Amino acid sequence: MKTILALMGAGLFLLVSLGAQAVPSFARQTGMACEACHTVFPELTHFGRMFKANAYTLDSLKQVRGISATREELLSLAQMPPISAMAQVSYTQTSKNLPDSSGTIGSAQNGTVSFPEAASLFYAGKVAPGLGAFLQLTYDNAANKVHIDNTDVRYAGHMILADERDLIYGVTLHNNPTVQDLWNTTPAFGVPFAVTNAALTPLAHTQIDGALAQSVAGLGAYVLWNESLYGEFSIYRSAKQGFSNPVTGTAGPLDGTTSNVIDSVAPYFRLAYEHQWNRNSITVGTYGMQVKLFPGGPGIPLNGATNRFKDLGLDVQYQYIGDDHLVTLAGTRIHESMTLDASSALAGTNATDDLTTYRLWATYYYRRKFGGTLAYFSTTGSTDPGLYPAVNGLVAGAPGAFGGAAASANGSPDTRGWIFEFDYVPYLNTKFSVQYTKYRKFNGGSSNYDGFGRNAADNDTLFLLAWLSF
Amino acid sequence: MKTEYSLILGLVLVLVASVARAQDADDITRQAGARIAITTCANCHGKGGNSISSKFPNLAGQRPNYLEAQLKAFRGQTRGDPDALAYMWGMAAPLTDVTIHGVSEYYASQKPGPGRPGDPQLVGRGEDVYKNGVPAKGIPACAACHGPNAEGLADFPRLAGQQGAYLEKQLRSFKSELREMAAMHAVTEHLEPAEMDAVAAYLQSLN
Repeated sequence: MKTILALMGAGLFLLVSLGAQAVPSFARQTGMACEACHTVFPELTHFGRMFKANAYTLDSLKQVRGISATREELLSLAQMPPISAMAQVSYTQTSKNLPDSSGTIGSAQNGTVSFPEAASLFYAGKVAPGLGAFLQLTYDNAANKVHIDNTDVRYAGHMILADERDLIYGVTLHNNPTVQDLWNTTPAFGVPFAVTNAALTPLAHTQIDGALAQSVAGLGAYVLWNESLYGEFSIYRSAKQGFSNPVTGTAGPLDGTTSNVIDSVAPYFRLAYEHQWNRNSITVGTYGMQVKLFPGGPGIPLNGATNRFKDLGLDVQYQYIGDDHLVTLAGTRIHESMTLDASSALAGTNATDDLTTYRLWATYYYRRKFGGTLAYFSTTGSTDPGLYPAVNGLVAGAPGAFGGAAASANGSPDTRGWIFEFDYVPYLNTKFSVQYTKYRKFNGGSSNYDGFGRNAADNDTLFLLAWLSF
Repeated sequence: MKTEYSLILGLVLVLVASVARAQDADDITRQAGARIAITTCANCHGKGGNSISSKFPNLAGQRPNYLEAQLKAFRGQTRGDPDALAYMWGMAAPLTDVTIHGVSEYYASQKPGPGRPGDPQLVGRGEDVYKNGVPAKGIPACAACHGPNAEGLADFPRLAGQQGAYLEKQLRSFKSELREMAAMHAVTEHLEPAEMDAVAAYLQSLN
């Protein structure tokens, strides 16, 4: 049961950690307007991808410099630190009220104002020659805490090959698989760029799709040849936030009182090829990782059986970036094979499961001012009541227990629907969005999916968002 | 004896090194310029300064004086068309006079790509405007300053084979004085959009 809760927790945590990857400190540092690197923030242009591959180091500011007698650069630091901030304020309304968790009858208030939904502080920019960082501290209104959000510290260098072809090579240290990626088709910085944290979310997510966000440390090496062929290999190990070991009272070592701890390290790979012509670019790629997790929990030490996840993603993106019209067509498919040796023995899940997620979207903007996104999403997989339970994770009748909603009556993870979003961008760093999520299926069913009479459409969500970056 | 040989050899080496250093200064400037061009400018202006996007001008074979003047105008924030603000003010800010010279020399030495033929009627009309101007409106021939084959003259830029959409945008910017330049404003003030289209199509078609 602990495993299930942990899986659910991971899924929920994902939703508060998405968003926010475009920061004005990059604009301040480079002296270039947002449009150089973004179609509309946070989606990257080709130049934005190059800026990231170059470790966020392109700069135009006056530097504090230090050199040795042999002209070796010892310090090159902008006179102003690359600090910026972001605020998201939102209103969320679902089609039907959720049950009230304080009792067995009644319902929660519908219409949630989040002020803020998230507020972040960034250090985003050059640290030293070739070395740059994207560090995000976020206030999370659900936890009423400030936590380390997406982080990517990287070093990059250049080799000029024969025929003046450029090869960028680099290393990255980061805390969320795919946060280091250059395209917006991989999960960490993918569509939808902002989601509410005040509505129900489906139970099932693949591991690479945010389940490990901010609870791992990843070390990777990458190359980008001729601005077109990208290859990366990274490894991840658990780096839990907010854990303290009961024996030492300190931040480690991790033990069975925590959950979903990576056994050894989890390898990750990425290959992508981008082709550009005139105002167009197209990218095809693949990415994946293999994770072995100890489920943990009281009486379950971090050794022995693990749950193994093999995730393989495919992604494609087309961009047209004109002066008046901007179009992006993109999508990704992630397939996950699970071998749940630990959870099948401990919590009665199936021995093996699989999960497939599709996300496909089209985005259009007129002069970077008015635009919208139409997205389709679908997750399908094995029916497994042990993994996608019919109760909400708490024992019926216990305090806080309530029927349904965040549950699946038939044990199926199947969820699909559409997102319609309209955006107004009065300035390049200010966005107002109206987003509507329409569920055709939720946690395995269209009608009465939770066994308590709730339909998928009851979770349809209207989300109004003001997103300011400054 | 051995000592003398060593001294002579040492002197020769010092001499060779001095000569080499004089040559090196230019080489180093050129190499630094090439490195900046290949690792940074190429992201938008393409490999060897032949841009693949009509948003960004070709730089291959451009007049070095013109490139230097523009980079200094970006750095000094005196060129004010929208793309200059959004991209080049930042890009040029950290460049020194030496690196500006190096980058300019690098692009001037690159081979321009072939022209791209357009609608023959439009190209023909553009050729007429380019070579003869529009006498009825007092618009002088572009060729007078930019050369008979649009290869550029002295400080006047090469226009042959340039991205048509880029040229059109510049003509509009001169006309509206977003890009301030008295001579080009005077030329474009009475130029109609259709004439701009035609000149741009003609210039893009040239090798």
